[in-house]
Amino acid sequence: MTLRSLVAAAALAAACVAPASAQDKVRGAALAQVCGVCHGAEGISRNREIPSLAGQQAGFITVQMILIREGIRNVPAMRPFAAGLADKDIEDLSAYFASLAPGFPPDIRPRDAAQADRGQALIGPRNCAVCHQASLHGRDQVPRITSQREDWLVHAMIGYRDGTRIGADPQMNGAVVGLSDFDIAALAHYLAHRE
Amino acid sequence: MSIRRTLLGLATALIAAPALAQAPAATPAPVPGWAVGRPEGSTLAPHAPRLTVTPLDQVPVGAIRLPPGFQAEVFAHGLPGGRTMAEGPNGTIFVGTRVIGRVYAITRNPDGTTRVRTVVQGVTQPNGVVMVGNSLYVFAINRVLRFDNIEANLDNVPAPVELTEAFGFPTAQEHGGNHDWKFTTLGPDGRIYTNVGVKCNICEFDRDRFALLVSFKPDGSDRRIEARGVRNSVGMAIHPVTRELWATNHGRDWAGNDWPNDVLLRVRRSGEDHGFPYCGGGTADPQYNAGRNCNEFLPPAALLGPHTAVLGMRFYTGTMFPEQYRNQAFIARRGSWNRERLSGFDVVVAKIDANGNVTGVEEFLTGFRDDANQKFADRPVDVHVMRDGSLLVSGEQTGTIYRITYRR
Ligand code: HEC
Ligand code: HEC
Repeated sequence: MTLRSLVAAAALAAACVAPASAQDKVRGAALAQVCGVCHGAEGISRNREIPSLAGQQAGFITVQMILIREGIRNVPAMRPFAAGLADKDIEDLSAYFASLAPGFPPDIRPRDAAQADRGQALIGPRNCAVCHQASLHGRDQVPRITSQREDWLVHAMIGYRDGTRIGADPQMNGAVVGLSDFDIAALAHYLAHRE
Repeated sequence: MSIRRTLLGLATALIAAPALAQAPAATPAPVPGWAVGRPEGSTLAPHAPRLTVTPLDQVPVGAIRLPPGFQAEVFAHGLPGGRTMAEGPNGTIFVGTRVIGRVYAITRNPDGTTRVRTVVQGVTQPNGVVMVGNSLYVFAINRVLRFDNIEANLDNVPAPVELTEAFGFPTAQEHGGNHDWKFTTLGPDGRIYTNVGVKCNICEFDRDRFALLVSFKPDGSDRRIEARGVRNSVGMAIHPVTRELWATNHGRDWAGNDWPNDVLLRVRRSGEDHGFPYCGGGTADPQYNAGRNCNEFLPPAALLGPHTAVLGMRFYTGTMFPEQYRNQAFIARRGSWNRERLSGFDVVVAKIDANGNVTGVEEFLTGFRDDANQKFADRPVDVHVMRDGSLLVSGEQTGTIYRITYRR
């Protein structure tokens, strides 16, 4: 699907969600129907350069949703869906996506051992585990970066490196400074195949 | 399929651009500014911000401890990320933020309760807020905006006058994302005082462009360097009697749990050097001293604890608090991240005698730091003396403005 048709499909789904009254995760699940159109029904994205959200850190999703809603992180595709969300909606959505089991997308590219090894070799020297934890599953505002879409990981890291994406703080811009496209592709390939 | 196309593209790029075609193992890993000096294996990293509304029943006002006779109450809440404060002529309190990109306005309802509006949104780290007459100045990262007649237009904020070029700060790119947020205060001379932080954790840099305290006329002209070698000051105030500029300053990271101290600076003459990066807290930097004697530089007026993150400071000019607090410096310590055990997360008072010497630093507002569990309930960023003599304290983590009063 093109991004435009995704936006249209999501707008329809949004119109169909009845206001829910239950708590947290359950309420989040209802609000999340609209998100599934782009981010995948169980939070596992089948769309290029759209991240999976299943098993993502709730703190990270919340911070990013606020940045997107406030227009600090510029994501035109999401603007209509983030604009009207109350803080509580965002927290409930985050709780819901964090509770889903992470998984590899169905269109995952076969593992290339040599490329994955090159990527793995950069994790230690670049201190990725300091913030993302040894598991690389993240903590609080620091995201899970494993079993994520490879094309998304490339897109995200290039954004930090080239300064088109600056997060809640510039830590990631520092972490990827000076990496070549070649390095980034290898890191993404390694991470995309790691649980 | 598109991934394959990307990789194909990359492969072509590799052939076309030999510079990229080096083996990954040989890729130089330039150390990012903020991480210079970090020891291998450290797991310390900045704490997560909270950018959503904290419900009133979760605001930790009950945790606050104060000296006898003082009380704490919630003045306003529901201002996620609220940090710096400035008061308008009609009593509106404007509150600047960093990550969430907003400026809030707090007004009083007829019944004494407060009302919070968001008056600026979508600006990159509008941490500097200062009133000049009826105009609110907002100093964001590399952007300066002036909102005229703001208090009369809180529901319909006019488009700001853009003063970015006039002030001409180094760009966000030049700062590399480091220490480019501003703190601002108005001097009795009508000048705006602010900071230009250093573009790294620790490094050499142009001493006329970075690590400065500077002042300007409100139109951005007549820049004057007030102090050099000031790593990252995010709080300053003019002494009500001596008219000297005082400022808080953050020491570098990654030089151990107990070195250097964050400090209080006293600026007696404009333009003098306070010694960063050669000296920190008045003593030699273990890596960047470059053979300099720390006596060449101005010594700190007071040591305020390692990694405590000293921020907003004001001199107490009210009459509600006991006489002993008159003209003393209240200083918010937002609290450490670059230290194994938490430090700060409180408000202290620096006692200053008639000669301008600091005779001691006392705890004033405590209770947010939980030493047993190494947790914190809130992070004080700024203090503000109200006209009735009460003291406002901003808590960034919960988006709360606390009000401290005294009753005999
Ligand atoms: C029309 C498609 C679309 C819809 C609907 C949508 N998103 Fe997104 N979302 C995107 C795209 C595209 C990005 C990637 C933005 C970028 O390139 O920075 C994104 C990014 C995100 C991110 C950042 C994640 C990361 O790893 O950086 C979060 C969180 C997110 N979306 C949550 C949601 C939630 C919650 C909803 C439902 C309320 C939603 N999205 C609805 C398209 C969509
Ligand atoms: C100093 C801490 C730190 C280090 C070191 C670090 N990261 Fe991050 N990373 C973060 C934070 C914080 C974020 C979220 C930033 C934001 O708000 O956009 C992040 C975000 C990311 C994202 C975006 C994920 C998404 O879905 O949007 C990727 C990918 C990533 N990191 C990969 C890495 C890799 C690979 C390394 C090592 C080369 C690394 N990080 C090193 C702190 C760090």
